[in-house]
Amino acid sequence: MSFEGKYNAKSPAVKRLMREAKELHDATDEYYAYPLEENLFEWHFTVQGPPSTDFEGGIYHGKILLPPEYPMKPPNIILLTPNGRFEIKKKICLSISGHHPETWQPSWSIRTALLALIAFMPTPGNGTVGSLDYSPIERQQLSKKSLNWYCDSCGKIADLLSYNKVKKPITEEEQHMLNTISLKGDVSISQDMPYLSNADIVEENELRHRNNINNLNAENEPEILNPPIEVISYSKDFLWSLLIAILIFAIILLLIRRLFLL
Amino acid sequence: MGDRTVQAKSTENTDVNQDELILQQQRRIEKEIQETISLVGEKESLKALESEYTEDDIYLSKARALAQKYSFFRRTRPDGNCFFRAFSYAYLEKLINNKDEYEKFRELARKSKENLVELGFPQFTVEDFHDTFMEVIDKVGGDTDNSYIELHKLFNDQGYSDYVVVYLRLITSGHLQREAEFYQHFIEGDRTVKEFCHQEVEPMYKESDHIHIIAMSTALNTGVRVRYMDRGAGTEVTAHDFPEGSTPSIHLLYRPGHYDILYP
Repeated sequence: MSFEGKYNAKSPAVKRLMREAKELHDATDEYYAYPLEENLFEWHFTVQGPPSTDFEGGIYHGKILLPPEYPMKPPNIILLTPNGRFEIKKKICLSISGHHPETWQPSWSIRTALLALIAFMPTPGNGTVGSLDYSPIERQQLSKKSLNWYCDSCGKIADLLSYNKVKKPITEEEQHMLNTISLKGDVSISQDMPYLSNADIVEENELRHRNNINNLNAENEPEILNPPIEVISYSKDFLWSLLIAILIFAIILLLIRRLFLL
Repeated sequence: MGDRTVQAKSTENTDVNQDELILQQQRRIEKEIQETISLVGEKESLKALESEYTEDDIYLSKARALAQKYSFFRRTRPDGNCFFRAFSYAYLEKLINNKDEYEKFRELARKSKENLVELGFPQFTVEDFHDTFMEVIDKVGGDTDNSYIELHKLFNDQGYSDYVVVYLRLITSGHLQREAEFYQHFIEGDRTVKEFCHQEVEPMYKESDHIHIIAMSTALNTGVRVRYMDRGAGTEVTAHDFPEGSTPSIHLLYRPGHYDILYP
């Protein structure tokens, strides 16, 4: 991996990512992540399904997209291996959870993001954007299947984790973060919303920073940029509330009829 | 009863969409600000401030009062980091021709990393911010005209500039946590000092309140005078010194929600 020369090595973001690449260089049994050779701002990762859950024994692969403002802004995670908890090929981001508001902190890192992902897998999806609520059996089946999953650029993912490394313990600080953070689908760049012109430009800029990203993932990229799933989940929400409204209205009508016609 | 359920459900729904619209708008505003206002601007005469308020009597009289006491000001980008950015720029600028204080500050900055790691901040990333912070301090330590140019350049380079802000946020958070017993009284709601730091101090773009200013100035052992310019009664721009009773070595102008640098 030699990024010198290609990037401005003086830029703090570049320095930071090279440091992180070095820190994560050796695989552990929990996670492994590295930048693509062509692009320091796009990483691939592999994580082990958390033990004693439906994901136990599973191995999941995905991409991490770093915004040009990293580490001021959080990384985005995209899962590629079907898992039954998160939609695949769709940006999910570390974000504020309802009960303990907590926002991304620059002192967190890609390791933090991966730990958060692992910790977050067994939590209920509750229909939030980007979440799936598959049954335990379906998830267990997917976890078995995941061992044969193959990434075009990394190969067979089951071979990527290392089982003889002593893992770095989770610090108190990290534990605090894991208790408060949440992951959800990225809603900020959805295409179905009005007033999009600027968000599009932002997205474009973001892409310009990542060399070659389009050539590399020609088949995946359009889906990531125009998540059609979101449209569905929004109209689904809307339909549900409409349905409930109609039902309640009908009940009230029946009650009124009963009261006045008796 | 039924109606209320329906209502509750539908507000919940619009809330989600509202959040998104707000996010969209926030990004739009952010971008506009980014394009029009540099992170730290050039020195301007206070006449420029007066001309902003030709149609606003209260502010105009206060801008005039300010011009009696100060001759120049320097704008910073209103991105929620303005207090930290203004503070560090003004302070480093002042240190350029004050060798003794510069050395003292450099020593304090050098030691600050261990303090943060002891408090439980992740060593790996703290080191990253600290290295860049020290690099900036070293680059402006020349005591020459070139140092001023270098300072201005570094603070307008988003990468360096934001790294300085992050590190100052960490120092502020570290100070608050070490003196948690004292600062607990200033925190509203039932949050601990640690929670407050995680939510209001460490994340970027979070605006600064009095508590941030007190902690920052105490931690760096540097007095700061803030001039308040708002719709309050009178024609004076009230001064407030942090920490209380200190001799101010830098001066900031506060207008609701924003800090700029002032020069006597």
